[in-house]
Amino acid sequence: MTNVAEGVTPGVDNSRPDDSGRGHVPGDSSMWFFVIGDLLIFGVYFVGYMYFRGQNHELFLQSQARLNLDIGAINTVMLLTSSLFVALGTEAARAGNRVAALQRFWIALAFGAAFPLLKMFEWIPEICSGLTPGKNLFFMYYYVMTGIHLCHVALGLVIMCFILRHLKTSKAPKISFVETGATYWHMVDVLWLVLFALLYLMR
Amino acid sequence: MSGTVAMAPQPAAEHATSWRKNRKLDQWIAFWSVPFFFNLFGLVFVPLSWMMPPRSPGSTTPHIVDFMHSHNLLIACVILTLAYGLAPVSNACYLMQVRRMSVSPAFRYSMMIGAITGAIVGMLFPMFCFGLGAFRPGYNSGVLTMLYDFGYLAFIGSLGCFCVMWMAFALAIILDENGILPKWLGYYTIWQYVTELMAAPVWIVKTGPFAWNGLMTFWFAMTLYVPWQIIVYVCIYRAIKNQPEAELDNASPELRPKTVEFRSGTSA
Repeated sequence: MTNVAEGVTPGVDNSRPDDSGRGHVPGDSSMWFFVIGDLLIFGVYFVGYMYFRGQNHELFLQSQARLNLDIGAINTVMLLTSSLFVALGTEAARAGNRVAALQRFWIALAFGAAFPLLKMFEWIPEICSGLTPGKNLFFMYYYVMTGIHLCHVALGLVIMCFILRHLKTSKAPKISFVETGATYWHMVDVLWLVLFALLYLMR
Repeated sequence: MSGTVAMAPQPAAEHATSWRKNRKLDQWIAFWSVPFFFNLFGLVFVPLSWMMPPRSPGSTTPHIVDFMHSHNLLIACVILTLAYGLAPVSNACYLMQVRRMSVSPAFRYSMMIGAITGAIVGMLFPMFCFGLGAFRPGYNSGVLTMLYDFGYLAFIGSLGCFCVMWMAFALAIILDENGILPKWLGYYTIWQYVTELMAAPVWIVKTGPFAWNGLMTFWFAMTLYVPWQIIVYVCIYRAIKNQPEAELDNASPELRPKTVEFRSGTSA
């Protein structure tokens, strides 16, 4: 997460509901409730996956070898780059540099949008070659976890469009709104990193 | 949310009739129908019929036939089909509060239709399926197995309707600017509708954590759902309690500001 720039910037609404001291939680506090809860929910999936992996180690390893590691790795780079530009865009928005913020959020959106597209290039050949969720427990976990994550990505892209609209049309952009969206996007990124490690890399 | 409306102290003689004059009586009836509805559900589902926790999709045919011929199951189905009438009443208490939110009525209508269609598929269909076995004992085991599958899949795998219903509720809470319900509840509701999506694998596998009685699709979804349901009703209770009398449809004319009259006259 980027540093919090204190001080008033002209043309930016820096006000926050809990703006009492110097240190603050970026964005809306209810978004943090969501982030922590979401991490716990995914945590349950991760623990469940590890448990059943321990029970059928061979099956999970053999199935894992059939995933497309290249697309997985490219998608990881896409999300990380997108997250970087979201952080840079948020910093620009805090500094009141609206043009730079818009530019960076557009780049972040483009990298983020590449994720579901690449996912389709990964899933469709897999499904066509018979690696469906019904194949075995590994593939069920694989499709359910990456599927729920994909829903999060889709929601994140919609939120990013709202941020872009807000930065473009609002007279004094609300920085807490931008931060809330950025927080969500970073969470999507963190979840993917764990998913990538668990599903693609762990041996 | 504006502060609570201070009620004038009532003289003791008027106390007996005062609850009938309470202008929020309709909302309180809808609200209190909910614990009644869920307690009845619990009693009928668990100790009366053992329909819940769900039996295994991989049960042997003799087990399925025994279960489907149980008279308690038929009694449970009749009680629940009667109690189905309470579903619209209990949903009214959400809808009355969503109506106060500064969001498009489309959210309210989506919730309403989602609740209706969801309850038909998720409650009425299973009751018909489970009730048939004991109603006419002559059905062969293949038919009973199909009814068993149909019943449980309709109950646990009826995904889309409730998903859209809770999605509309979550978005309405998050987008609302009147602060009727807390924002974090909106985010919690997002998980609630995601659990509907998480249950999709029940249509694919018959054993393991993703079967209809599985760890992830049933037990984990229940762990999210039960606290959510209780929390929603606590929040709805507070929202009804804090709702200013002037905002009610049946507010006395001297209490009702002109703007409120205009709004309730134009919205459905």
